[in-house]
Amino acid sequence: MESHRNESPSSGPNEVINSIRERTIAENSMVVLLQGLQGEVTTVDLKNESTARGRVVNVDAFMNVRLEDVLYQDRQGQLTQLQDLFVTGRNIRYVHIPDHVDIMKTIQSQLAKIHRVRNFSSHGGGRKEYINKPK
Amino acid sequence: MMTYGEQAEGDVRTWRMEKSGKRERREREWYSYLHRQGCQQPTTNTVEEPLDLIRLSLDERIYVKMRNDRELRGRLHAYDQHLNMILGDVEETVTTVEIDEETYEELYKSTKRNIPMLFVRGDGVVLVAPPLRVG
Repeated sequence: MESHRNESPSSGPNEVINSIRERTIAENSMVVLLQGLQGEVTTVDLKNESTARGRVVNVDAFMNVRLEDVLYQDRQGQLTQLQDLFVTGRNIRYVHIPDHVDIMKTIQSQLAKIHRVRNFSSHGGGRKEYINKPK
Repeated sequence: MMTYGEQAEGDVRTWRMEKSGKRERREREWYSYLHRQGCQQPTTNTVEEPLDLIRLSLDERIYVKMRNDRELRGRLHAYDQHLNMILGDVEETVTTVEIDEETYEELYKSTKRNIPMLFVRGDGVVLVAPPLRVG
């Protein structure tokens, strides 16, 4: 089930990253919080002083973000409407977190999803993600 | 020392030991945030490395100096090894220098704005400190 692609698929709310490498990277950093924001409308401040406000479709382990129905404001203040916007993780400065989001719950549910997928094949003789199960 | 069971053999065991050491460290960083919320036990309470000093500031107000003449003052809710941070009630200060054409005087201007909850990408962070005390 291991995928060697760096790019994660645009996914619905119940799908998890298919790449073991991305799962491990995401699980050990705060990107999981951003992944839990999928479906929320947020503002992303970019390093080039522009801002993009839209609905988060997908965030991968490298913090690459896909947004839809975006209002993009460049550094001169000019507004543009975009159907779909992909921002490379390196270009992000801030992500505004909506007030109604419970950070702890979001992180915990994201980690639970990852652990569910990881342990999916543990009963029976399926291939395990880690030979030695942590703890 | 073997942390996670003894299934691996030979060369694989050495590799597993090294990997579990790294994972332990990463888990420790995670747990420091989760522990503050009363969810998990931290694996260590002592200050061993610079990131542990940041751990001491969890839930406190901090001052963050960022690249491009920006400063943030806010309450630290979470951080990771990349210094991605989640700050609450943050005030961002952007400082610009304008030079008077005739007198060549430097005029320092700062623009502030308040954001309720902000995710900061770690590669923009220069330093983290307790809030500066004036006088």
